[in-house]
Amino acid sequence: MPAQKKQAAQTARTPRLPNWLRIALVGRNPKVTLARIVVLTVTCFVVFKFILLPIRIEGGSMLPTYRESSVNLVNRLAYLWHGPQRGDVVGIRLAGFHVMYMKRIIGLPGETVAFVNGHVLIDDKVLDEPYEKYDCDWNLPPVKLDANEYYVVGDNRTMPPQYHTQGVASRDRIIGKLLL
Amino acid sequence: MKIVFRLVLAAALVALGVWLWFVLFPSPEKVIRKRLMGLAHTASFSSNEGNLARLAAAQNLAGFFATNVEININVPGRIQHNFLGRDEIKEAVLGARSTLGGLKVQFPDINITVVPDKQSAVADLTVEARVSGEQDLIVQEMKFTLQKTDGEWLVTRVETVRTLSILHFEPPRFPSIVLT
Repeated sequence: MPAQKKQAAQTARTPRLPNWLRIALVGRNPKVTLARIVVLTVTCFVVFKFILLPIRIEGGSMLPTYRESSVNLVNRLAYLWHGPQRGDVVGIRLAGFHVMYMKRIIGLPGETVAFVNGHVLIDDKVLDEPYEKYDCDWNLPPVKLDANEYYVVGDNRTMPPQYHTQGVASRDRIIGKLLL
Repeated sequence: MKIVFRLVLAAALVALGVWLWFVLFPSPEKVIRKRLMGLAHTASFSSNEGNLARLAAAQNLAGFFATNVEININVPGRIQHNFLGRDEIKEAVLGARSTLGGLKVQFPDINITVVPDKQSAVADLTVEARVSGEQDLIVQEMKFTLQKTDGEWLVTRVETVRTLSILHFEPPRFPSIVLT
């Protein structure tokens, strides 16, 4: 009978959790729960590290479309089958992926982009920009884009152009399209 | 069981040896990365700083650079400065520390390329700076050139990288001056 005594003593030392709480914490089958946790963790790591990069927006150059301190995701697979399109809001890398610019593509490879009295001219034709809500008075000389270059700019053009980070981004700097 | 224990022990010893090797003889990339992090830390300061501390910090910061260092900073709409030599850096640091309320500098992304002779290297990095009292974050990609001098990696050149460049201005179709 010493084995029974030992088991009884052990049970007395570690009080059993109520059944409903045990199921809520570790599920009916703890092994399956553990496998689910591992799969979920690996999936989250792969998705949020390599496919959908979570970002927090700083600065007001994309107002009013994107507010400061809002959170978004950059889809790195967006341009797997086709190139960036005009109007896309994209993430542009600097030295790495921890800090990036967020801008809108207005000029595509081979085009000539200019600003005249606040209007964007693409190959001398005015670009319709429904996302542009504020007044703008920029005048910038024409810029001819090369084969793998895109012209990017923010939606908030109320400040003088020299205070607004904008210009030509090469294709390899565009890391993905904003998801939301 | 004895064999398994011996194998595990041998593997642990090998792992410890490898770890010790990397700790005692770090790669140039690791040394440079640590040095650049130190530079960012030394460049940061808070408002409550005495004159002596300010002087010591300027001296410390200058120690990260070679005597003939050349620094060209050009952040459009914000900072435009050229420095030559350690003395100019010290002066600039003292001036900045006495006028600004505080500064926090970080290098969130650092890409290091070491030249095969392992005596010089280039670091492409993102500088993230926040001035106390200012809402906007300063973000700029920069290129640091380093050289190994007396066993120490010193910065010999700092230049601004234009992430969004405007390089190809198209010549005006109608010349502003018409010679007749």
